[in-house]
Amino acid sequence: MRKMRAATALAGATVLAVALTACGGGDDGGGGDGKTLNVLIGANTQYPDEFQAWQKDISAKFKAQTGAEVKFETFASANDELTKIQTSVVAGSGPDVYAVGTTFTPTAYSTGAFVKLGDEEWKKIGGKEKFNPATLGISGPDEQNQVGIPWVSRPFVMAYNTEILKAAGIDKPATTWDELGQQAKQLTKGDQYGLAIAYKDNFDPWKFVWGMSAQAGNPLVDGKTARLQDPTVRKAYETYFGWLAKDKVVDPAAVGWTNPQAVAAFAKGKTGYFALTTTTAANSLNQGSVKGKWKFALLPTVPPGATSRPAGGVEAASILSGDNLLVADYSKSKDLAFEYVKLVTDQEVQLDYYKKFGNLPANAAALQTLAGDPTLGPVTEAAKKSVATPFTGAWGDIQLALTNVAVQSLPDLAKGSISTAQIEARVADAQKSAQSALDRAK
Amino acid sequence: MTTLVRPEQKAPAKEKGVTQQQRPLWLLTPGGILLILIVLIPLALAVYLSLLDLDQYTLRRWIEAPFIGLGNYVESLDSGLLHSIWISVSFSVLSTAATVPIGIAAALVTQNAYRGRGLVRAAFLIPYVLPSFVVASVWRTMLQPDGVVNAWLSKVGVDAGLWLSGPKSYWTLVLVEIWAAWPFIYLMALAALQSVDHEVHEASAVDGVTWWPKLRRVILPYLRGPVLLACLLATLNHINNFTLPFVLFGAPAPDDVNVMPMLVYVTSFQSLRFGLSAAMAVVSLIIIAIPLYVYLRAVRLDVHEEGGKR
Repeated sequence: MRKMRAATALAGATVLAVALTACGGGDDGGGGDGKTLNVLIGANTQYPDEFQAWQKDISAKFKAQTGAEVKFETFASANDELTKIQTSVVAGSGPDVYAVGTTFTPTAYSTGAFVKLGDEEWKKIGGKEKFNPATLGISGPDEQNQVGIPWVSRPFVMAYNTEILKAAGIDKPATTWDELGQQAKQLTKGDQYGLAIAYKDNFDPWKFVWGMSAQAGNPLVDGKTARLQDPTVRKAYETYFGWLAKDKVVDPAAVGWTNPQAVAAFAKGKTGYFALTTTTAANSLNQGSVKGKWKFALLPTVPPGATSRPAGGVEAASILSGDNLLVADYSKSKDLAFEYVKLVTDQEVQLDYYKKFGNLPANAAALQTLAGDPTLGPVTEAAKKSVATPFTGAWGDIQLALTNVAVQSLPDLAKGSISTAQIEARVADAQKSAQSALDRAK
Repeated sequence: MTTLVRPEQKAPAKEKGVTQQQRPLWLLTPGGILLILIVLIPLALAVYLSLLDLDQYTLRRWIEAPFIGLGNYVESLDSGLLHSIWISVSFSVLSTAATVPIGIAAALVTQNAYRGRGLVRAAFLIPYVLPSFVVASVWRTMLQPDGVVNAWLSKVGVDAGLWLSGPKSYWTLVLVEIWAAWPFIYLMALAALQSVDHEVHEASAVDGVTWWPKLRRVILPYLRGPVLLACLLATLNHINNFTLPFVLFGAPAPDDVNVMPMLVYVTSFQSLRFGLSAAMAVVSLIIIAIPLYVYLRAVRLDVHEEGGKR
């Protein structure tokens, strides 16, 4: 049975790893000649050939600098990555450098399997100052305990249809959630909708809820306490569900949409706003009939029901999103690992990576050179105004609980009405599992 | 002088074949070792893990993870496991019950030779040959709120609503599983039909039996063993099917289709609670093993013996 298989895999990996560690000797030392550095990195399905070329290019540069080889290993999905991390952590051997998503960094940190960065380590990679300060927000629980080195940013923004907004006499995109709802109503007519929202996506919903709550002054986690049963959270869900159920400014089919489906819907050119996207969607949009008629804009930063941010509210334009690099504690080539990290976070390499794949640089100087680009302006601004989600090993569970509220509400949403009582009951469940995850956090 | 007396041959001539004691049991060693390696050791490990508080915080030194006895078991019963087992079992039994008549009917249809029979047989296997992932993706696309299925239904005036969320998602899962799984029963039934001796058909013809009594009293009894076995295997396959619900509904799944594999998956790989998920696995293993045992005793699946008795 499946669970057995998982256990088998774990057991198998352990046995193998024990055998392998027994065989492999220590090989630490000075120069990198003849050594190999193993790097685990997400596969790029959008630009596979360019990604291969980039890997070759980096390998050549690294070899020229250190004399050592870089061997890239790719993972296809977050699950693959997680499995790899799990088996390597249990086994105490595997890749030397990992590229992990920002929201997964707290979980990775909680395994204690990665090098904590002291002054010396930061110096090796060229100093903390070289990074966009916002990107360091999810490197560790505090300044003294950082493990994640920012690599790339993928801040969330909105996309809007310039023609549709212009036709409705709207000269600049909304900056508060209420304004967004208002404009969406104005834009909805005939077969045209104000907003594209991916209600059935497995990751999107919690980003809205967290963002709106944080802007209202509730970051959802307060030390060891989950604060999901808070008016700010209820208001966030009401707003998020209300676009479809109450205001009817979203295509009813959106209850079945994942994020790529929402991209496709917006690309048809019949929607005013697409509320949650990143620069990587640009290609898909330019292939649709919306080509040349869309722009990025910052997501609203004023919570629903308000015209200005309340005291304690955070100007969270996006979750801190992108990838961090982690160096494995068990690595026998830590110096080489840091040299690799330095190489790929340098300005020139970062800009090249952006040009090829559309991921924004974490390197501050590199990011600055892009700020002048009019289409990218809002995105670089979002990168600077990104706020880290709470740094706790429980975050994965909290994220799951928040999404589950949306998943279980879809049938009511489709029927066109969802009551406050229904939302509250589901949020109470979410609170329970979030709190129990926080209670277990070490 | 001594004469050598030839010992008399009093032992009776050896029997052909081997006796009970002489069976070369050692020939089973390779299989036995494999069984221990890939079944028993992981099973023992799973039971051991289920007694530990093993999560992302303790994973690194998992041997030292705190031993919490039955704590995980108590928690698993409290965290929706029974609901998931109920969904899994009812969905599997329903799917099997629905696929049996379809499979047998399809086997009967392709039993006698006719023009194009090969083509029909090949077509029947299509759902079985397609990878689960593809089946689920295609159905998910068709069952979107504005997908083809709802478009057709609205033409005949039916507003079908949501297939992939809410209470109807359970029936979606059953339907898609039936679509994907009936050829298995068909294959087993067809194999059994092929093994019916020619004389049986001739004898029935000589006796002048019409098709229905012949089918019911002569042919179907031949199918009993293989089809009962197929039911068992099919039900276990349904219970273990992870890809279909995962691709159809995503994780977290709607409560109505939070089947056991999904629950264990989310507990293991999203909540990272390996101890708890191992306990869930053990509980479900026990809960499913009991009716299985009863079933096996009740139907006495001895296909060979039955073949011999014929």
